Amino acid sequence: MEHQLKEEQGRIVVALKGDVDLQSSPAARSVLLDAVGRGFPIFVDLSDVTYIDSSGIASLVEALQDARKRGSRFALVSVSEAAHRVLQLARLDKVFAIHASLADALSRAE
Amino acid sequence: MTRPRVNENHTWKSDDAFSDHLELLAAMGQDFAASRDIDKTLEHALVRITEYLDAESGALFILDDEGKTLTCTSCHGATQITGFRLPSDQGIVGRAVQNNAGEIVRDASTDPSFFPGVDRQTGYTTKSILCAPISIHDRRMGAIELINKRGSDPRFTPDDLHILETMASSAGLAILNARMSEALVEKERFERELELAAEIQRSLLPERRDGGFPVHGASIPARLVSGDFYDFFTLPDGRIAFNLGDVSGKGMNAALLMAKTASLYRCLGKTLHHPGQLLARINAEIHETATRGMFVTMIGGIYEPATGLVRLANAGHEPPLLHRRDGRFVAFPAEAPPLGIVPSSDSFDDFPETELNLEGGTLYVFTDGVTEGYLKGGGTLRVEGFEAVIRENAGIPLARRLDNVTALFGGAGRTLRDDVTMLGVDDAEPAKARGAAPGSPTPRAPRAPRAKEEVEEEELVRLEVSARPDRLKLVRRAVSEAAALCGCGETLTRDLILGVDEACQNVIRHAYGDDPGGDMIVEIRRKGDELIIELRDFAPPIDVDKVRPRDLDDVRPGGLGTHLIGQVMDEVAFLPSPPGGGNLLRMVKRIS
Repeated sequence: MEHQLKEEQGRIVVALKGDVDLQSSPAARSVLLDAVGRGFPIFVDLSDVTYIDSSGIASLVEALQDARKRGSRFALVSVSEAAHRVLQLARLDKVFAIHASLADALSRAE
Repeated sequence: MTRPRVNENHTWKSDDAFSDHLELLAAMGQDFAASRDIDKTLEHALVRITEYLDAESGALFILDDEGKTLTCTSCHGATQITGFRLPSDQGIVGRAVQNNAGEIVRDASTDPSFFPGVDRQTGYTTKSILCAPISIHDRRMGAIELINKRGSDPRFTPDDLHILETMASSAGLAILNARMSEALVEKERFERELELAAEIQRSLLPERRDGGFPVHGASIPARLVSGDFYDFFTLPDGRIAFNLGDVSGKGMNAALLMAKTASLYRCLGKTLHHPGQLLARINAEIHETATRGMFVTMIGGIYEPATGLVRLANAGHEPPLLHRRDGRFVAFPAEAPPLGIVPSSDSFDDFPETELNLEGGTLYVFTDGVTEGYLKGGGTLRVEGFEAVIRENAGIPLARRLDNVTALFGGAGRTLRDDVTMLGVDDAEPAKARGAAPGSPTPRAPRAPRAKEEVEEEELVRLEVSARPDRLKLVRRAVSEAAALCGCGETLTRDLILGVDEACQNVIRHAYGDDPGGDMIVEIRRKGDELIIELRDFAPPIDVDKVRPRDLDDVRPGGLGTHLIGQVMDEVAFLPSPPGGGNLLRMVKRIS
């Protein structure tokens, strides 16, 4: 898994890429929690996620919970089909705010 | 000479009467065998040994569980140091324990290990010491120390040491024995507590109503305590609230979470008459306090006999089945995640509700123990089999219908694989009362079970890898190749990969746990339109009949991963431990 973190105009975009699995999810978790810790709205770009497992989903849930506690916005954008399928199987697709693209997310105030 | 204190449990000869050490040993052995109080018996043995070997004093030291401290538990003779402690690697007694060897110290004052503090405290002068460790094989339990031989020659002899060592072995066996029986008593206590817990659990289930009542339930636990529950009660307006749930995992922690969830429902359900709201509230409670990784799948509903309407909310549970009057079955899949997974801040968002009209039909809510549990005659029911049994029994009262289903499982002396729990809401009588002439349900012969086609199995992939996170990619690739060989579509392939990956994770994280380095074998075979995936590990085998609930949970953890496996696979089951040990998980995915 690779990741990319961009901070721009008072928001953070974290892009996760590749396989988020048991081996890489600890890294994903710390990237996400660090980003949330900076107190800005977080958009997680999952367009290049080729695989995500329960440990990866758990990292997203933990980051979401943390963001909510801080009152920060936390949204998933450009979710790949592979990632969307797992969110759906976990029945978490209604729990996360999911947007087709970053632009789409920004056009909607939370 | 000091006389031994008389122990009321024993009669023994005066110490003077022991003509040789064999006789002493035999007497001690009898004492130990008859002993119900190990401390007293050891105390008396020490008296006997001290007297027999003609020492001025004797002390018994016991090593603590961590092996760090020696404590003097009894003394006889000139010095009284009962309660005295020292680190297990100090003093002459410590040295004997560490080396697991007895020794004779002819002149204590010149021995560097000798600890003079005791003499200073007691005002006694230690000259010579005889010390033997108490141990069985390599298990160290303490030591016996004798001080200052009486008589003209104050030195202990090798013969003395030999005798003391023999006595110490005998004492070691007695201590070991006593500790084992303590463990046995503890186990019995644990079992009694488990029975009490089971009794409390049974009291949480509703009492069976008379035959005319439209809602009935049935539950048989796989073990003493259960993670399944159901409940129903009539609301003041005549509607009937019902629920059924299944806590992930098994054993005591599942049972406790079951008790909590069932109580929450009963309490909140009296005032909150919207199943979606109710489940959201319970979710908030469970998520806040539940142990990480545990969850509950649950269905809550309200049935209105006056109209036949049911409002349902389904949190990640098996889809309930409506057996309509025309004989057809309709399933209602879950629209919300299991309770305890989603953050609690969603609690103000109600879970989605489904409304349906039973129109004289019967709604069945059940746990996967019904569709996936082992039947008495072998095999599993699956949803199709469950539907067939319901059809066969459609003409008889609901309570008996449910009993006829539970009767298919387990049986005397056979352990169930999972708790089997069902609840039915039968609208036939209320529909009659509503005037909608129900007519007789369309008679339909139960589907004859399909004749088992003789299909050859074809092995597609066999992969043996270390059970390590960095090998999962390889496993996923292998599954992907096997799926491609069978012409599986994209979603099906992804689901298969996810299911196998999650199952491997369970092996890595739970079966091997803290003991990495084991291997696992993934084997994928095709049989007709079924992909059969077997995952073998070499971790300590799980004997479902013997392991305690907690151990079992370690290997079959609850959590999102297990939930996902259940979602993507058609069948998941642990097979009996294969020859050579380990565990064998079998998953089946139909790919037609």
